Amino acid sequence: MTAAAAGAGELTTLSPEIVRLRAETSPDWLAQRRRAAWDAFESMPWPSSQRDEDWRRTDISGLRAERFLPLDDVDGGMAASMAQAWDSAEPNAAFAMDAPNVGPAVSDADALLAQGVIITTLEEAAALHPELVQRALARVAIDESKFIALWNALWRGGVFVYVPRGVEALAPAWIAHPASGDERAVIPATVVLLDDASSLTVVDAYASPPGPHELFSDAVTMLNIGRDAQLDYILLQQWGERVWHVATHRATLEANARLHFFGATLGSHVQKSYWEALLDGAGSEADIAGVCFAEHDQHIDHQSLQAHRARDTRSDLLLKVAVRDKARSVYSGLIDVAPEAVHADGYVQNRNLLLSEGAKADSVPRLEIKANDVRCGHGATAGHIDEEQRFYFQSRAVRRADADALIVRGFLDDIVKRVPHPGVAKLVASLLDAEVSGLPQIGLAEAEAQDED
Amino acid sequence: MTDQATLAVRDLRVEVESKPILRGVDLDVAQGEIHALMGPNGSGKSTLAYTLMGHPKYVVTGGSASFDGRDLLALTPDERARLGLFLCFQYPTAIPGVTTVNFLRAALRSLGKEMKAREFLNRLKEEMDELRIDESFRSRYINDGFSGGEKKRSEILQLAMLRPRLAILDETDSGLDVDALRTVAEGVMRLAGPDMGVLVITHYPRILEYLRPDAVHVLHQGRVVTSGGYELAQRIERDGYEPIIGTAVAEPAGV
Repeated sequence: MTAAAAGAGELTTLSPEIVRLRAETSPDWLAQRRRAAWDAFESMPWPSSQRDEDWRRTDISGLRAERFLPLDDVDGGMAASMAQAWDSAEPNAAFAMDAPNVGPAVSDADALLAQGVIITTLEEAAALHPELVQRALARVAIDESKFIALWNALWRGGVFVYVPRGVEALAPAWIAHPASGDERAVIPATVVLLDDASSLTVVDAYASPPGPHELFSDAVTMLNIGRDAQLDYILLQQWGERVWHVATHRATLEANARLHFFGATLGSHVQKSYWEALLDGAGSEADIAGVCFAEHDQHIDHQSLQAHRARDTRSDLLLKVAVRDKARSVYSGLIDVAPEAVHADGYVQNRNLLLSEGAKADSVPRLEIKANDVRCGHGATAGHIDEEQRFYFQSRAVRRADADALIVRGFLDDIVKRVPHPGVAKLVASLLDAEVSGLPQIGLAEAEAQDED
Repeated sequence: MTDQATLAVRDLRVEVESKPILRGVDLDVAQGEIHALMGPNGSGKSTLAYTLMGHPKYVVTGGSASFDGRDLLALTPDERARLGLFLCFQYPTAIPGVTTVNFLRAALRSLGKEMKAREFLNRLKEEMDELRIDESFRSRYINDGFSGGEKKRSEILQLAMLRPRLAILDETDSGLDVDALRTVAEGVMRLAGPDMGVLVITHYPRILEYLRPDAVHVLHQGRVVTSGGYELAQRIERDGYEPIIGTAVAEPAGV
């Protein structure tokens, strides 16, 4: 709430006073958890590209986290533009704003609330529904990594959504995590709990203004999907170009649960994002699709895990990446099949399009199979724009730059079809159009829409 | 007559991967005419087509090519297309993710012939009906998973939508069954006329029965060795290339 200006004497994000402050306003169980997490954070070294396999290709030694102040006051314009994206893509969705100083935390949620859905800040949920929040946080250990420990100690605000047993949510939940300012740290939190046989669509959006402002984001999303429940989850990462972003998006699936996960990574300076599906229950299924467009000096690291822990589980992951200028993409993905996961069916695939000589993409999909009678596979490709495709376009009068843009957009097109919500799919398509600059705005959707007149 | 743009090729020499393929081609095609370029496999027919369109793999080592008085060889492929050239590919490449509709709209926009969506879709439907192309085609990714026949129809569909001044058909007849060949040939004939000239490259005289070319040229070992009227194609149909090529080889072309 405080409109604090950066200045001497303020508490940086990494000072123990902050965790004390956070603990003071938390219920006991959470205060304890925060303090334990802080101790864990302090006892762990920062990840190093020499020591830590996860961080071998992503160097965060340039992140001077100790300099950053907590983000208390988000720019109103940034928050408003995120609300606008929600309103044009899916006006029926309930909207939750993870920013303490901007407007109501939750709006337009009547339809969901009438169904018994809980949608509120994580802080409030921790006080009012401790047993639900504890259940939902059970699978994010306080000490599993430096960044997750920090998140556990310091998250504030946050968004919590709970769908009761048997309830098919009538409207999506649109969660916005805006950030702004310079040398600020933001700790976004999204926690979702779907009880048995329920269903929900969640949009989880991260954005900050363009420009040279340096921000540090340490985010965790926990998605708990109960028996026979279905979650459609859409992640939109649109941080400004000087944002350090470390995130874990983790889903746990009970028996016969179903996850459609779609991630669009468009922003940030350096990203390390974990996308994890823990298939704990027999017959659970996860379909994960991602698209990433990186340019300038962006360094974008995706690390995925498809953990098959029960029989008859199925997972599929496809990440498509286009890199331009001196941008670099790093992808590593693991399908981990436990001995009890007989008949597991898993596939992981990463396809990269390199748009300039300086652009780079590393891809390391892996399988670790400890069960018999499974069907698992992986694939990775990287290549430049096809000369024949470019010539074909040019022979039809299309200028080289436009041809290249259309080919890139085409490369990314099939992935847009995997967005599990039509309004958001349109939004993603238009975001990609804007990213792939020089692209003539000639969407098929536009032509078809006219056709129906 | 000043509106009539002519393709003029003079002593054109082309190498592919340092191997000479065209060794001095001379050819004139006026905008309103239909010319056939025939010749056995490996004579350089497709090389000429690709070179005229500006494929980067084909290196011009001598001679000239102009269209409507403009030096083609100085232009990029897209500039040549905007000048009015069109190549019907023998093996058009697939572009996954780009639908036929988007491909055509990008082309029309680049040609400065943009239409409103409604008008565009109406015209597209008319042309697709003429070519007996299924409606599902327009939202399919271009050439992606198309059969050989579908690719050829798609090329003619583009020709019909883009209306160039000179169409080069590179073995558009190959691999087509009798009915498809007729559909495609009729499609070309609907468009050919004072506004569009045609240079049809083929091994087989059959398509020429439909197109009735004003002139027939025979390419052999990288040169036009003889030219004539439609009767030349009929002679080839009857006797094959050998008698013609044999004569030609006996008359050295004064290198």
